[in-house]
Amino acid sequence: MTVTAKQYIIGFLGLMFLASLVFVQMMEVERKKAESGKGVAHAVIPASSRSCVECHQKSSPGIIDHWQGSTHANKGVGCVECHKAAKEDIDAFDHYGSIIATIVTPKDCGRCHKTETEEFLASHHAKAGNILASLDNFLAETVEGSRVPFNPHSPTPGKEVDVVNGMASVNVGCRQCHGSKIALEGTNGSLITVDELKPDADGVPTNLEMVSLVKKDDNGRPVLHDGSWPNTGIGRLNLDGSRGSCSACHSRHDFSPRRARQPENCGKCHLGPDHPQKEIYEESKHGVAFRDLKEHMNLDAKHWVLGEDYTQAPTCASCHMSGHTRNGGKVTHDPGERLSWTNRPPVSLVMDTDINGAVIKEADPVERQKQIVSSWQDKRQEMKNVCLHCHTQNYVNAFYKQYDDFVVNYNEKFAKPGVAIMGELRKQELLTKQDFDEEIEWTWFYLWHHEGRRARHGASMMAPDYAHWHGMYEVAERFYQQLIPQAREIAEHAGESGKADQAQAVLDLIDDILARPEHEWFEQAKKLADAGPASVTTEAVAATTEDKAAPAETATPAAGGNEEAKSSDAPKADAAPKEPESEPAETDGK
Amino acid sequence: MSGFLAWLRERIPVQGAQLHELTNEPVPNHLKRWWFALGGTPAYLFVVQIITGILLAFYYQPAAATAFESVRYITEEASFGWYLRSLHKWAATLMIAAVILHQMRVYFTAAYRRPRELNWVIGMCLLMCTLLTGFTGYSLVFEQLSYWGATVAANISDAVPVIGSFAKQMLLAGDNYNERTLSRFYILHAAVLPTTIILLVVVHIIFIRLHGVTELKLEDEPEDKPKHFNFFPDHILTELMIGLVLMVLLSALATIFPATMGPKADPLTTPEVIKPEWFFYVSFRWLKLFSLTFAVLSTGFIVGAMFLWPWIDKVLRRITGIEDISVYIGIVATFALVGLTVWEAAVAH
Repeated sequence: MTVTAKQYIIGFLGLMFLASLVFVQMMEVERKKAESGKGVAHAVIPASSRSCVECHQKSSPGIIDHWQGSTHANKGVGCVECHKAAKEDIDAFDHYGSIIATIVTPKDCGRCHKTETEEFLASHHAKAGNILASLDNFLAETVEGSRVPFNPHSPTPGKEVDVVNGMASVNVGCRQCHGSKIALEGTNGSLITVDELKPDADGVPTNLEMVSLVKKDDNGRPVLHDGSWPNTGIGRLNLDGSRGSCSACHSRHDFSPRRARQPENCGKCHLGPDHPQKEIYEESKHGVAFRDLKEHMNLDAKHWVLGEDYTQAPTCASCHMSGHTRNGGKVTHDPGERLSWTNRPPVSLVMDTDINGAVIKEADPVERQKQIVSSWQDKRQEMKNVCLHCHTQNYVNAFYKQYDDFVVNYNEKFAKPGVAIMGELRKQELLTKQDFDEEIEWTWFYLWHHEGRRARHGASMMAPDYAHWHGMYEVAERFYQQLIPQAREIAEHAGESGKADQAQAVLDLIDDILARPEHEWFEQAKKLADAGPASVTTEAVAATTEDKAAPAETATPAAGGNEEAKSSDAPKADAAPKEPESEPAETDGK
Repeated sequence: MSGFLAWLRERIPVQGAQLHELTNEPVPNHLKRWWFALGGTPAYLFVVQIITGILLAFYYQPAAATAFESVRYITEEASFGWYLRSLHKWAATLMIAAVILHQMRVYFTAAYRRPRELNWVIGMCLLMCTLLTGFTGYSLVFEQLSYWGATVAANISDAVPVIGSFAKQMLLAGDNYNERTLSRFYILHAAVLPTTIILLVVVHIIFIRLHGVTELKLEDEPEDKPKHFNFFPDHILTELMIGLVLMVLLSALATIFPATMGPKADPLTTPEVIKPEWFFYVSFRWLKLFSLTFAVLSTGFIVGAMFLWPWIDKVLRRITGIEDISVYIGIVATFALVGLTVWEAAVAH
């Protein structure tokens, strides 16, 4: 062999070797990217899902693409692993030889993610479907829509509308966050839900009569009622008896942890006028820091432990769910585990919870203590452990003092009085049994459900504007300018229509409330105006009234007095100009 | 000035002519083609490694608790730290590649034949030292992959019959990766192996100087042309040019693909995918193909054969009567080497 020939051999083999090194480096770069979560991880398609992937790649490529970028794909978890069903499952059907179900429930996810599912099921999230018979739902079902379908009253040009589905607002609104009660259509026109099926612990229905009623389509698939599906509400009531939907937060089909860690994920539901947690967060220093430093927050990290993987800013997940260095990186899927107040009800309650995770309402201290399984102090400590990654103990304690004071002030000044007034109106039967048919019911709903929550949530997550202008300011305005006058008006009307005792009870209560030191300012000017030059007059009036008193007009002195106070704007300003004016001025200054 | 030179010459009694004689080896013409001049490349890269290595050693702390953090400091905070570390990483890669290319050239031109057999053995020793230096250096980063790579390597050496467990003990300073392992790797990487390499390189060059470079007669060369040219300055210029190109290449690689930080070593979590450094891909893939003992023994056998190739070549030629038998074997071996490397790179497990 000549030297030239050898030269070519060396040249060829050498280049081949170098080319292989380039390939090796390329693969290494790819792997590092995949490890850091930045690249497309290698999808391992399990044999059982190969045909699904092939077909759906053509029919719905988005599903496959999303899945291919997921940790599931990387670990060889394919379509069948999640969608597989037992033959006895009510929604199971044969799909090209595999028995599958459309809806993947927490029971399915729990086959692998046991701890996460258990934590989730213990959470308030899993109980979100309980709203389905509540006040809120009455709003959407009846007030906004109609529980029974009704006929259109005029044509819709270009579209044939034979019937109006009055449940539309519930289906599209409430249930997309709270979760629907999944229903199958029955052959007799009925809807078959978990209530009818009575599934056993494995999720297999025990009511066989109902099973035989399930309507199947041409391909032999059980027909899901379109009012209940599609739905990824977090408290969905599934056919197998499980509650919730993991994809509410872990969007299918990539189940991205990165996305679940970002506030936008929670913002699908936690926003808007009644609980603007996301907007509150965005206004807070926490949200501001997040927007600025998001890129540095290692959102792709495998465990995403606060204090280890990042410290730049907390997201919703950081404080309420994620692991941190002080708890050994333990994630919880119960976002209530670190909450010390529940600001959901009209009057905030401390989060002492019982064995079922329900907030204890018992007032008797001994009895209450017996029921507590997890105290609000425990939960607060859990949250403080998060705060302490970036704040000192003194700072955190002082924050909680501010927050507690705020909530207690709201509770005592407006919420409990509001509850008392509304309760008294009902007790005295001055309101109809029907919700939302009277103005004051809307007023009260706005006060606690919208403004009151905004205020309390604003305080809980350090958003001053929500605590004050969107919050307490509006609560106060609603209370003084609407709730009190409307309650008095109802009472006065009642008094006029022969319910003097009932009316008096309500008016007395209002007067009692307004006589409290924190409310005293409100009608002080009027009282002073009355008391000053009119102190004699009032007695004289009282005397004359007594003289002329007709039995039916027992309520009039108080009502009359009020009426007088209301209309006496001019004397109010004249009689006591200094005190009322100096107080608002001071408030403004603050 | 002349007074100073006279003073110096008296203290260092070496004549200019002697120095010229010593350094100016006549270089065969084929070395004018740069691809025949790759023997100097590993040496050049080795110098880069020593310089960058010393600078990195200023910062590096060889203990389990501090190693990762010190590498992170180098990469993310120290001035030009990322550049030095990347140069060090890429020079290591290129050095191993250059050693392999140089060895291929020597092998295919049969330059190991009598009387240069011993220099081939020294070259093999240099290859082993280079690979070991690469391995120990990678382990020093103390990230997940390097930690698990070292653990796997130690377990592999454990499979060697008779001396296996002893070798593992020596490598890890105990039965398992422990707090003394890193300092052992560090001393090997930064002191023992480089010194050994320097000594071997000196002997390697002395041998070349004694035997002269193997003369290859290229067919297209005119008969009357002189067979040699001067080492200085002609060959030095070629080497300088190769060096400059290498520096540009290194710098570009270091800038475009800088060395990054993986997750910190966690003895409790085995990573999804364990890969050694690329130069062990061949043996890693080989290991996965056969039972551990067979793979380890056969690897030992192959390495042994490589050491003894000058004599094996002689025997094979005598038995088969084919002059270029080693070339054919070499082609097959290179394809196997590249094939196994690519295979290992392409798959996750």
